[in-house]
Amino acid sequence: MAARALTKGLLGLRQSRTVAVGYSIAGHQYSTAAPIKAPRLQVDDVSEKLLTLPLEKPDFFRVSELFSLKDLFDARVHLGHKRGCRHRLMEPYLYGCRLDHDIIDLDQTMEHLQLALNFTAHIAYRGGIILFISRRRQFCHLIETTAKECGEYAHTRYWQGGLLTNANIQYGPGVRLPDLIVFLSTLNNVFQQHVAIRDAAKMNIPTIGMVDSNCNPSLITYPVPGNDDTPITMELYCRLFKMTINRAKDKRRQMELLHGLSPSSS
Amino acid sequence: MATLCMSRLSRLRFTSGLRGFCSGSSGASGSDQPASQTPKSGFAAAFEMQSELRREAESATAGRTGPSAGQEESFASMLRRSPLMQMGPAKDKVVVGRIFHVVQDDLYIDFGGKFHCVCRQPPNSEKLQRGTRVRLRLQDLELTARFLGAQSDTTLLEAQAVMLGPIESRDARDSQARKAEGKSHEDV
Repeated sequence: MAARALTKGLLGLRQSRTVAVGYSIAGHQYSTAAPIKAPRLQVDDVSEKLLTLPLEKPDFFRVSELFSLKDLFDARVHLGHKRGCRHRLMEPYLYGCRLDHDIIDLDQTMEHLQLALNFTAHIAYRGGIILFISRRRQFCHLIETTAKECGEYAHTRYWQGGLLTNANIQYGPGVRLPDLIVFLSTLNNVFQQHVAIRDAAKMNIPTIGMVDSNCNPSLITYPVPGNDDTPITMELYCRLFKMTINRAKDKRRQMELLHGLSPSSS
Repeated sequence: MATLCMSRLSRLRFTSGLRGFCSGSSGASGSDQPASQTPKSGFAAAFEMQSELRREAESATAGRTGPSAGQEESFASMLRRSPLMQMGPAKDKVVVGRIFHVVQDDLYIDFGGKFHCVCRQPPNSEKLQRGTRVRLRLQDLELTARFLGAQSDTTLLEAQAVMLGPIESRDARDSQARKAEGKSHEDV
């Protein structure tokens, strides 16, 4: 088992670094050089493999299994606001307008949601801090309990101006900012966009946002067009994010256990 | 919940219509069998098509599993068959809603649309509780208006509906009917 791990590790090494031991090119000549370096490189290689292995597959955490088109439809994700409330930049994401009510295209939503959940899973896998933000008072308790259950953070109260941009002075030096911000509703009230969207863009923090037909999707890294007003829809989103984050964290623990065994045994 | 109720009603109507159709035409199919060579037209052709459709639907539900059957239906077909689209304009349509929150005199009712509606407690009857199903006459699915000088509409994030009263349960109606029958039998 140790030998198998050794060869696997060296193969991984070959892929990541171009200045390789040259194992494959001229096999016998370099075979003596490899074992000298192997024990020192193995520990770094394991941690590197832990980080690079999920990036090799497009859907390593299988987040597309967590939801289906029928689930989104039953949770009324496709319902948008009236035509008069429509934001110009949301027009590509709309399927159409029926009796003055906008309908969001769920086929596009499926793709965007899969990308967003996959990104969340990768961030959670690497131990990143995820912050849930929403200013909808109706769902504030739901979002806070969701964040607690997946071990991440939520901010559903009044946003003070310098929370992200002035963090070093407001909280103290060396504060760790979130690695991902998830907006379950991008608006403060029906007129204003949440300040954190602009601030996250300023601080180079990637954002995921559920954008309704009256929201501005411009500054959001992974916009997900969908309803953000119905309780059943918010419950679906919270459940999906919680399941993704827990899945990614469990996978990380599993991978650490798997690879944690081999260096100790060799 | 309200949408499920409405879709079940529409499905019941559809299947009962089919059953009536097929039972009426069972005699016709027997007489048509020897003449199967000639191209069927009118009633016979329609009956064949309907029975094929029914067979396909039955095989679909029997053979395939849940997720794969759901994947086959596209967003466009789901949308077209949804009660919200089939309903048409929301003005003066009667729907069934469920109370999910009560604040003193106000009832917050969810009827399957994007927003909930807020109605007052009916003055005469007893106080309605959370979880009660009520009948509503919808006026608007979303209250919006464009004010002077505004870029976009201002929305209240609410629907508007008039409450017609709680849904009477079937048991209450049956027991009332039985009581009336019992009284009439006694009289006779």
